[in-house]
Amino acid sequence: MASEPETKKTDFWRALWRSIGVPLGAIVLALLIGAVILLISGANPLLAYSALFQGAFGGASQISRTLEKATPLIFNGLAISLAFKAGMFNIGAQGQLVFGAIIAAFIGFAVKGLPWFVHAPLALICGAIAGALYGSIPGMLKAFTGASEVITTIMLNYVALNMTDWLVGGPWQDKTTEILLPRTPEILETARLDQGRLITSGLIFVILSLYLALMVYLFVKSHKKIRMAGKTTREFFTANLGSLLVALIPVILVGLYLLDLLQVGFLIAVGGAFFIWWLLERTTLGFEIRTVGANSNAARYAGINVALIMILTMVISGLLAGLGGAVETTGVDGRFEPAFNVGLGFDGITISLLGKTHPLGNIPAAILIGSMKAGSNTMQFEAGVPKEIVDVVQALMLFFVAADMIVRYVLRIKGKEEKVSLTSGWGQH
Amino acid sequence: MFKKISVVFAFVMVLSLFLAACGQKNVDCTQEDVLCVGLVTDVGEVDDKSFNQSAWEGVQKAADELGAHVEYIETKDAKDYGTNIGLFAEKGYDVIVTVGFGLGDATREAAATHPDIDFIGVDQFQADTVANVAGLMFPEWKAGFQAGALAGMLTETKLLAGVYGTDLAPAVVAFAEGYEDGARYIDPAIEVITTYHPGGFASGFTDPEWGGATSKQAIEQGADVIFAAGGKTGNGGLIETANYPGVFCIGVDTDQWETVPEAHSCLVSSAMKLIVPGVFDLVKLSSEGAFPAGNYFGTVGLAPFHDFDSSISQEIKDKLAEIEAGLLDDTIKYEDFR
Repeated sequence: MASEPETKKTDFWRALWRSIGVPLGAIVLALLIGAVILLISGANPLLAYSALFQGAFGGASQISRTLEKATPLIFNGLAISLAFKAGMFNIGAQGQLVFGAIIAAFIGFAVKGLPWFVHAPLALICGAIAGALYGSIPGMLKAFTGASEVITTIMLNYVALNMTDWLVGGPWQDKTTEILLPRTPEILETARLDQGRLITSGLIFVILSLYLALMVYLFVKSHKKIRMAGKTTREFFTANLGSLLVALIPVILVGLYLLDLLQVGFLIAVGGAFFIWWLLERTTLGFEIRTVGANSNAARYAGINVALIMILTMVISGLLAGLGGAVETTGVDGRFEPAFNVGLGFDGITISLLGKTHPLGNIPAAILIGSMKAGSNTMQFEAGVPKEIVDVVQALMLFFVAADMIVRYVLRIKGKEEKVSLTSGWGQH
Repeated sequence: MFKKISVVFAFVMVLSLFLAACGQKNVDCTQEDVLCVGLVTDVGEVDDKSFNQSAWEGVQKAADELGAHVEYIETKDAKDYGTNIGLFAEKGYDVIVTVGFGLGDATREAAATHPDIDFIGVDQFQADTVANVAGLMFPEWKAGFQAGALAGMLTETKLLAGVYGTDLAPAVVAFAEGYEDGARYIDPAIEVITTYHPGGFASGFTDPEWGGATSKQAIEQGADVIFAAGGKTGNGGLIETANYPGVFCIGVDTDQWETVPEAHSCLVSSAMKLIVPGVFDLVKLSSEGAFPAGNYFGTVGLAPFHDFDSSISQEIKDKLAEIEAGLLDDTIKYEDFR
């Protein structure tokens, strides 16, 4: 397995630094500049940032709120990252998301008499399908007519906006209150995601045990191989530190879930991130998506059905965004209201860039932005800082990730790392 | 470069510590004799030149006259209403003002968990009475009616126009209907072009470009008084109308003479909801232990004419006063026009 553990180890850390150094540096620089702005405006940056941190991680309910805010961001970040991999810029995640959200709400309040273990998944699946169908439209337009998905998705966002506004003001409006508000009725208890926590916990416990058993088995097996090759146990562990840490993530997550710190939605989102990573890196379809993204002409020459891949990518991308909306409706909101979900799809672009379009990179990026969203009101309240400072810091982060030369220069991160395929697709034709 | 950054960083830290030492204000709201009033905005800003701002001014008036300690939180995400109200509730605030009908559910939920706190819901209709919630409501139709009557007496082309936020908001529709009814009350032959923003709640109140373009279109069709009701969308309509000499515009909610100075050359008046005294009165009633639960109707009225005062005849002013009195004692009422 590992022929030279020592160099492997440094290689691992160096690779890690190369891939996350720029985002980390961008975050630190953005916070610093934010602090300077706070100072100029007469506020106290230390107080402001500590209040921000308090509001995001200060206690169980704060952590749970941060993860709740991060959940839709992971989905949307994934949706946009996946499209980026195929060289497409899905600005329509917002539209796909609201369609997913409203369909999930419809299934939630209109379908009656189902047990929760059918009703809640049904709402999620229908929401995801709604997003997928809506995502397929720009995909087909791009594949068959060459219409730029940037333009079509932006326009389809408006279609989605007005369609949902019409639905909540008309056929699907909540008629139970005296003053009619533009929103759907509340979804039934059976459609809520946090149903049957005990049974879900039991199920997760069984799966987790199986997972742990598998991991131990794999480690023992490869350890034996290593010993036969004449390496020590210590060398084995240092060489496999990275994979060990990754293997621990699900265990930590389930622990948090059992402690009631996170919702099922977050688990689904993380599962989705791992699935997309697997899809991109370990399957033929993923290889084809990446090939189309790298060079669609070469992909066509290599016999890949470029049109089909483009449509499929947009379908999966829309599915992720729609699922994100459905999880929001069934897990957090409990109904569809136009004021909810504003801008989540666009935040997905931020997440995707911060995570360097890596499916797993979306998770920490979403938690970061989620924590800023969750903590911003405490910051306002405790430190008297306008909420806009959070937007400023976010914009700065994005700026430094995009203009990575600045961060590289400051932190002396050597260049020539894996290229992020942001613009390889659109703009070239 | 790295060194320089570190120096800047250290400098910032030292300055922050310095500020931390002197910039602390501590008020204990749990104490009996301290009146604390908190305000939670909807997703607009506290200086939105509209509801949030007026409500905040009402709260500030309570600070001046009742010696209350006041604080506000601007909401960024509609899902955070409950959390933001909770921040005040946990600190032991005595009165919490929530602005906008979007906060209605969150306010009532918070009221149930904190029975000893009085909640003032601006623009929140109370279908049933909760002992510690007062919904501050305004008869928008009456405000629109007065604006329409004024417009009806000013117009020469007998064509008026209304530029509005989304028709999904009942209050906006009430303004529009009042405006039409008021104009026809003066002269049944008057035509009114009514246009609602198509963007729903997501963009209906935040689209000044649309407001401007729609006003321009109406003026080109011959309308000579524009009533613009719909947050920033409406403000865009007012500012655009100011480019056309001889065309009047009428603002909404607050005296927009103060809030949209760009429209001074056309702004003859505004259909005001008197939110500042409404909020202040409710805070005062709460501090006196006489909090009125349920719906609390504030007053509406036309804003002063400012620069146009001399050009508006006494005849018009008398007629407006007569209409205002008629609206107050219900001799002019909504049902008569349906």
